[in-house]
Amino acid sequence: MTSSQEWGAQLTTHLIEAGVEAEEAHKLAGDFLAEAQDAGQDPVGLYGPAMAYASTIAQTIRTATAAIAPLDRVRGPVVLRLSRVTKRYRRRTVLRGVDLTLRGGEVAAVVGANGSGKSTLLNICAGATRATSGTVERAPRVGYAPQQHGVSPLLTAAEHFRLFGAVHGMNGRKSLAIGTHLSQQLGWRPRPDVIAAHLSGGTQQKLNVVLSELNRPDLILLDEPYQGFDQDSYLDFWDQVFKWRDAGAGVLVVTHLLHDLERVDHLLELPRVDES
Amino acid sequence: MTLLTVAVTSLRELSRRRVALLFVFVLPLVFYLVRIDVPWQALRFLALGVGWAIATLALFSHVAARRLDQRLSVIGASPTALFFGRQLAIISTGLVVAGIYFVLVAVTQDVPRLPAVALLLVTTVLIAAPLGAVVSLVVPRELEGALALLSIMALQLLVDPDGTAAKLLPLWSTRELSAYAIEPVGATYLHQGLAHFAITLVVCILIAWAASILRLRPVRLDAPDEYQDATPLNTHDAGPDGANGRLRV
Amino acid sequence: MEQMRQQWLHGFLDLCLLSLLAERRDYGRGLAERLAAAGFDEVPGGTLYPSLLRLEKQGLVRTEWEPSTSGPRRKYYELTSEGRDAVVERTQGWEGFRAAMDAVTAFEWASTGERSS
Repeated sequence: MTSSQEWGAQLTTHLIEAGVEAEEAHKLAGDFLAEAQDAGQDPVGLYGPAMAYASTIAQTIRTATAAIAPLDRVRGPVVLRLSRVTKRYRRRTVLRGVDLTLRGGEVAAVVGANGSGKSTLLNICAGATRATSGTVERAPRVGYAPQQHGVSPLLTAAEHFRLFGAVHGMNGRKSLAIGTHLSQQLGWRPRPDVIAAHLSGGTQQKLNVVLSELNRPDLILLDEPYQGFDQDSYLDFWDQVFKWRDAGAGVLVVTHLLHDLERVDHLLELPRVDES
Repeated sequence: MTLLTVAVTSLRELSRRRVALLFVFVLPLVFYLVRIDVPWQALRFLALGVGWAIATLALFSHVAARRLDQRLSVIGASPTALFFGRQLAIISTGLVVAGIYFVLVAVTQDVPRLPAVALLLVTTVLIAAPLGAVVSLVVPRELEGALALLSIMALQLLVDPDGTAAKLLPLWSTRELSAYAIEPVGATYLHQGLAHFAITLVVCILIAWAASILRLRPVRLDAPDEYQDATPLNTHDAGPDGANGRLRV
Repeated sequence: MEQMRQQWLHGFLDLCLLSLLAERRDYGRGLAERLAAAGFDEVPGGTLYPSLLRLEKQGLVRTEWEPSTSGPRRKYYELTSEGRDAVVERTQGWEGFRAAMDAVTAFEWASTGERSS
């Protein structure tokens, strides 16, 4: 195999891994090789290393097919309302008087230092934890991605899709199809023989995120889901958040990163509450 | 159905824990061989070994699944389906173990009432699975739970079987049933053993089931008033599910 | 300095390519040469071709393979009607932007009393 062909093969492989359909990946690789040949240059000299180029191309395809002009956003009905939510553990007040009204078509970011109760707030929104006082109202169809232990290390991605799909009333084939499609939107092609424990941290989190949107919920709750993401995946994630928003869901993201927060609709900053 | 999917998924998870499965298969053998010279004891110890192994499997299985189960129940899975699904997987595994050991006993021993051996092993499995679940729900940490189980099993072995205290222990029926299998005793042993088994089974299942509902059931949250009055938004592409949601995404 | 110019061009590369194609259809290497001739620094293939791919995916540009005189086949890019609309729209946007840039940078020059023509 010549170095050009090798470059082409690597490009194809990495494109497929990044979620591009095999047929298109082969076509693209062939086209790029032909253009390089026409330019009289080595592919690696013209485009750069195959893997990095594949990453760029895959991202270009993903973002290009998004709408060019932002849609006029429709703010839907309220999908989450917190009124004076307080959470106390014995003597410690973790949350004090939190208010938030989130509508469909909006994004809320919850920020704060470690220990400021962000994850607790998310659990209260989900219904996993009961607030000490205050009211919580939320839409029934919710997606929930906790920070840790939200997936089973011994199951493959496909088995996760089937399990979560069954809870949503989907049959196995449908949940598998939807799960795979949603994974591709995050630039990942799940392999059938790899259990979650053997996925990289970033890929595990992608699985986590996909599981939270499997049934197209009205409210999506995410807890710092991009730890371990590389820069491209981080951008893809936020693209996904805004896609959910544009499709009418309300999204709540707990994060400690203050980057990229200009585009969110609500910014909830939780102060570090001292022991009372 | 969620319950069946949970069961199948749990079985897959269990099958990937090779070392645990090895333990589950080998421990009862050790117990059996240690007392092989006294058939009645050997049988009883075999049953206790099976019981302990399956209960430990159940304990760890439920503990390991706690966070995942919580996530599933938040999105709408019924705690009952989660509990019984996992139990089904554990019991199925236990029945396979029971089957293997039944064959072993049939081949290595001359037992007057062979069907009683099957009964003995099956009842042990059926108690062990919810017993492990009870311990996992009351003591939600692996080490502490394993120690609790160990204590129960130790008591089971050491307490004078004829005393009333012994009847409070979950696997007392093993003594009765193994005696019935080996020795030419009357049917009272059978009946007493089965009665104890039935009561223990029901108690263990009820406690474990209730505890899992309490632990897993999400806080009931009402939808905001405006949400209920909403008219569905148009979607850009047809949603994959046909479920009736107020708001289509 | 060169890196900053690279970044600036990155933001406008799509518009440049669309404008060049509005003039006439061309192939990848040809577009690169025309950019260089216009005064831009050399655009690496790893940046140029993804931009062209993006324009194609967005339906602003269509592609055609032609057997070329010097041997290997060559991929030609051509504007679609949406592409023509986009050129008009984005050029207007650019002109507004450039006016604003000129206003701001001109002001700074004036205040220091230095201005290169």
